[in-house]
Order: sequence, then structure tokens, then C-alpha cells
Amino acid sequence: MAKARLGAGLLLLLLLAGCAGTPQLDALRQAAPALPPRVELTAVPFFPQESHQCGPASLAMAMTFAGRPVTPEALTPRVYLPAREGSLQVEMLAATRRQGLLAYPLAPSLADLLTELAAGHPVIVLQNLGLAALPLWHYAVAIGYDLPQETLLLRSGLTAREVMPLATFEHTWARSGYWAMLALPPDRLPATARESVYVAAAVALEQAGEVEAAQTAYRTALARWPGNFLARMGLGNTAAARGDWREAEAAFRQASLDHPGEWTAHNNLAWALMEQKRWREALEAARQAIALSPGNPQAAETLRRIEAALAPQAPAPGGRKRRQERHGDPTPGT
Amino acid sequence: MNSRFLRLTSRFALAVMLLITLPLQTAQAGLVTTGDIVREQANDRQRVAELLDRAEVRAALEARGVDMNEAKKRVAALTDEEVALIAGKLDEVPAGGDVLGVIVFLFLVLLVTDILGFTKVFPFTRPVR
Repeated sequence: MAKARLGAGLLLLLLLAGCAGTPQLDALRQAAPALPPRVELTAVPFFPQESHQCGPASLAMAMTFAGRPVTPEALTPRVYLPAREGSLQVEMLAATRRQGLLAYPLAPSLADLLTELAAGHPVIVLQNLGLAALPLWHYAVAIGYDLPQETLLLRSGLTAREVMPLATFEHTWARSGYWAMLALPPDRLPATARESVYVAAAVALEQAGEVEAAQTAYRTALARWPGNFLARMGLGNTAAARGDWREAEAAFRQASLDHPGEWTAHNNLAWALMEQKRWREALEAARQAIALSPGNPQAAETLRRIEAALAPQAPAPGGRKRRQERHGDPTPGT
Repeated sequence: MNSRFLRLTSRFALAVMLLITLPLQTAQAGLVTTGDIVREQANDRQRVAELLDRAEVRAALEARGVDMNEAKKRVAALTDEEVALIAGKLDEVPAGGDVLGVIVFLFLVLLVTDILGFTKVFPFTRPVR
């Protein structure tokens, strides 16, 4: 971004500093959260940001710190829109997932931002360095803070260690709607993690095709929230995607026990059993699914397939003991 | 273009996007995917990807310096929620750059909807069907 524009934007900011308050900073002053007074994540690398390339550079810094080294140049085609001379926030999240990292959108809270920094997680922030009517959007990476001094530390633009008053930061951050995100290894939980937000981020990772990372993220979620249905089903589905039908079965079974009213848990359990040729158990699960969702075409199809597989076989009733007919199971259980 | 025009046209574009993604729900055998469980409609994504496949759209995007393969991968990596966000809030999503780009982006969406025959904003477009 042009220095002159930045300077002009900051000047205007100073002129307007008295106009708007800093409610979040005021709240921090009122009731300081239990945080260390100073934090600086010095290990976060610095990639100087060329004009308009603040998005890729900020991502590269956070990703490299998270253990996925990448250069801003490699990320530019993924997040940079030449016609708009910038990057969309949603694409910042998407690019993070493509790197096998969990993209966690932070709540719009200064206290949450500081809490993540204290937990050792650098935070990518979107600022509007200009005005609401004349925006000058800018991505930067928050790497620390100093509460007694009321400052935030940023890797920003061409400055490796920018010291910005928290009040100024709040003004510039407020105009982006307090947008902030984390790029985390999938085995790490954000310090401020909210259940539904975290699980949704894990689902997004699975949908981006990062099955292994998504599976890890589901495990991370379940370690904290063992009863989460979506995470349990996601664990089963990612295990199935990797051909591990025994782990898939275990996850779907747990889901069906924790949430007996969910037909999808029984349906998927039936499939995991079918894949292991345990037809009788599969039949039972499929009947549960259809009983919970009568007329559901997908559940009906599951039942039909199992019945079709059982029909020609016609085993002598009671003649089969619990045999483990495993076959084609490429991955040994975990 | 004033902001009122932008707001009107973007709302219209949102309505169109919602309309074309409503139908089409086919039954399929197998595991219920996590995405299905979240009740998200994978159709959104497919339709956005299909739009990118059209020659006119491709040309317009490439003229703006967007690589088509990258554009498709971007769509693939977005969540359904985000696809809907892009479709519906084009004029409100800020990029780390110029505000003029928003207008250009909106222009592209209207171009796409024009080409598909849902709108008729530009005189030079001809619907494909």
C-alpha cells in the first residue's frame, strides 16, 4: 500500500480519534482478564509485505509459525484478486484449509484476541486504516501486547515490529467489524474456542478435502466436547474416507449411543458394518435408521442393499457365531 | 453507479443466486456425509463452479487477471456458507485493496446472471438459452 495513502489515512484517523470511543479497551480497563501483562511471540517470522500483498504475507507468517512453511509468493495466486488489489476474508480462511491447517474465525473481541496471543497463537487481523467511507483495508499479524503500556505488537506492512496503541488498533479494527482469524495445526484448540465454531471449522477442513487434518481436528474437538454429534460423525466419515471401517464403526456406534434419535448415526453405522460384511448387525442398524426417519430414501436404500445381500445367502439361523469377517481393511486400527 | 444502485442490484443478484440453488435434491446411497448433516447444500458450490466453466465468464475473469484453475480451487475450498456469502454480499465484503474493485466484482456477477438469462442489465449480452 502506498505510504502516502497510509500517511493520509493515519492523519485522518488522528483527526477523528476523538469522535468514536473504544468500548472494548474500556471494558478491558474496567475488568482486566487474567492475562500475563506482556506477551511477544518472537518466533513468528516476518515477510515484508509488498504493495497490496498484505493478505498473502500475513497468511504466510501465520502458516509458517504453525509448522507449514510457505512463502507469500506461493499464496498470492490463491488469495489475491488482481482486479481488487486485495484478498477476501473468506479466501484467507479457504487458503488456510488448503494448507491442512484449521482456519478459526475469532469472535469480535479484543479480550479474545489477547487471550489467543497469551496462549501462543498469532492472530491475523483485518484493519481499515482509512475511514468507513474511504476504506484502506489492511491485513496484519498480531504477535503480542503490552497491557501496562496499552500497546499491541504487529507484523505489519514493511514493519517487522509495529507498536500500536491499543486504542488506535481498536479504531482501525472496529471498521473491519473486528475481523480476526487463527491458522492452527489441527491438534491445537484455540484458547477461546467455541464448540459450534470450532466444529464448523473442522467440517470446512473436511469439505476442503483435507481428510487427515479434519480427522485430527475432530479428535481435538471430541477431547474437549465428547458429546458433540457433528464431530463424532465427522470422525466416522473421515475414518471411512481413509478406508478404516473399524474406526468408522466405533465412531458411528458412539454417535448412535450418545444421540439415539439421529437416523444418520444408525444409517452410517449400518454402512460401516456392511463394509465389514457383518450383515446381521448392519440390518439391525439400518432398521433403526428407517424407524427414526420413515420414508427417508437414503435410509431405505441402505436397508434394501443389506436385505439384498442377505437374501441369496440365507444362512442357517443361529448357525453363525460372531465371526469377525474382516477383509480389505488396509489400515490397522489406531 | 451510486451506492443505492449497488444495493439494489446486489440484492437482486442475491435473490437470483438463491433461486437457482433451491431445487435439485437427489437421494443417494451410502454414508450421510458430514456436510449433509450440517444441512448445507453442496449444490451451491457446484453451480458456482459451473458458472466458472462458461466461456464468457472465463474470458471476463481472465481479463481481470484471475486464473480459472485457481478460481475453481478457491470455490472448492470455500464452505457452502462462504459460497453463499460471496454470492450474496459482494458489495459488503471488503478486500485488502481498492473499493473500486467491489464495483468491478459486482459487474462480473451481473454479467454472469445476464449471460444465464436471469437478468438483462447490459445491452451487449445474449442469454445462453
